[in-house]
Amino acid sequence: MSASRVLIACWMALAVLSSGTVALGQIAASGLVSIAILAVAVTKAWLIADGFMELRHAPRLWRWLVLSWAVVLAIAISFAL
Amino acid sequence: MSTSAETAGVSRRLPGDLAMWFFILAELSVFALLILAFTVAQALHPQMFSEGRQLLDRSTGLAMTLSLLTAGLFAALAQEQVRQDRPRRAALLLCGALLLACGYVAIKLTEYAHLLANGLGMEHDTFFTLYWILTAFHFLHVLLGMVILAWLAEGCLRRRYGAQEHSGLESGVLYWHMVDLVWVLLFPVVYILD
Repeated sequence: MSASRVLIACWMALAVLSSGTVALGQIAASGLVSIAILAVAVTKAWLIADGFMELRHAPRLWRWLVLSWAVVLAIAISFAL
Repeated sequence: MSTSAETAGVSRRLPGDLAMWFFILAELSVFALLILAFTVAQALHPQMFSEGRQLLDRSTGLAMTLSLLTAGLFAALAQEQVRQDRPRRAALLLCGALLLACGYVAIKLTEYAHLLANGLGMEHDTFFTLYWILTAFHFLHVLLGMVILAWLAEGCLRRRYGAQEHSGLESGVLYWHMVDLVWVLLFPVVYILD
């Protein structure tokens, strides 16, 4: 797949997931819904990091630093809430 | 300056300048602290945050998300065009990204004006104090990102970037993606997560 097609595929996934976040927000608040919303946010962050920022081709340390930022933050948020 | 590493026979390359990546890590750390402060305050005042969030429009939040992400797509596509030595096409795509970013700014300013008209300023309560700090700080980053996108578009038109020289452009585009990256966690925390 060409680089441009990869980017467009990432963007489409990001748009669908963004709409999914709002749809999940319509469901009555619960711990499970909050975790699902955070999981969607982490997936979006990974799509941006690996797709748009091209970290999938980058040295592993940098890739994992950025990917783990989203995971650690989401875990901290879920503990705080 | 570009960095690259050979790992297990596969060439791995970090796009843009190494300094930009350190800057991005610093920015991500600051935003993480602000987002966590917001979440901890929510845990202390759940009722206040739930009521405050009811006064925000989620569809507006979604529209801003789509504006930022689509601008990110245009910027990334522009980067691809520069690598193929098509700086004029890249300039057009960067102008498209700039227009989409203007859409975000217009929506955000409308939201700010609506909140202020209803007396929901920074002093209203803890929710709105943190809402204004967090979103205004991000908004300032978007404005800086727009200046960078305009600078990159001008650089493409003047053929400052091309197939052989595009590290500066990559760094500028990375800054925009960092703004997007922060927003995808900020958006659910501020607008959605009760």
